[in-house]
Amino acid sequence: MKASDEELTALVMATKNAAAFGELVRRHQGVVRGMLQRMCRNHALADDLAQDTFIRAFEKIGSYLGTGSIKSWFCSIAYTEFLKSARKRKSTDRAMERFGSGMEDTEAPRDMGNVVDLDRALATLKDEERVAVVMCYSCGMSHSEAAEATGMPLGTIKSHVNRGRAKLQAYFAESEVMAS
Amino acid sequence: MTMNDAFDQRLRDAFAEAAEPLNDQAEADAFAAKVVARLSHPDRKRALMLGGAGSVGSAIAGTQLEGVFDRVQIPADGVMANIAFLMSPETMAALAMAVALGMVALILPRRIA
Repeated sequence: MKASDEELTALVMATKNAAAFGELVRRHQGVVRGMLQRMCRNHALADDLAQDTFIRAFEKIGSYLGTGSIKSWFCSIAYTEFLKSARKRKSTDRAMERFGSGMEDTEAPRDMGNVVDLDRALATLKDEERVAVVMCYSCGMSHSEAAEATGMPLGTIKSHVNRGRAKLQAYFAESEVMAS
Repeated sequence: MTMNDAFDQRLRDAFAEAAEPLNDQAEADAFAAKVVARLSHPDRKRALMLGGAGSVGSAIAGTQLEGVFDRVQIPADGVMANIAFLMSPETMAALAMAVALGMVALILPRRIA
């Protein structure tokens, strides 16, 4: 019988068992990498951040209180890693702008079809809206989990999700009209 | 099901579809293996670089310190004279080196934020 997330987490907390942690990574890497790919719009950077996320999670596993799911906890660490990287990229971009050579922080999407549509649609959202929408729809986090992970008030998260969702709906409706 | 529910479901499906390649068994195993490999060899390059830089810095400082501490006036009488043996240039240089090595040891295990 497969061990549950809770059992694996308890084992990692008690013994720092790398194999048990590897199994947790294997189970949740899709959600974390998916979330970071949608937020960063850069697959290579997203994978690097996802690795950093899991390393950081292993280091501070003792601080996991078990109040939410381990998946939400990984996602909140991923969000922190994303913010740190975004801050670094912003300062790099400013430095590059000073020398008159703007740096492109996005890459052309590798996937075709609907995934490209989704990434284009997400690109129309503000950063906070994109984060809130990705957390709730991609990671399956509740509004309160997303609020806890981002440190934003619950009401703010709800309005970001609603506004982001409305923009996405409008974007997809417009694309369908253009296509028909 | 309301229109909103239908769109919510469509959005969830779109995200699930986008993340589908990541949930492939081989992909998941390869990623987990990379993470586990990093867990067993944490920042080896960083430790080597910091350790090397610390050692070189300490060696250079060590050659200079004796000269610096040579100029310290050691009291010949009074309370301070009792601890004069601690104020010889060699001892002070050794203490400074110990502090420098302690700082390197303190920084080495920390991750760059």
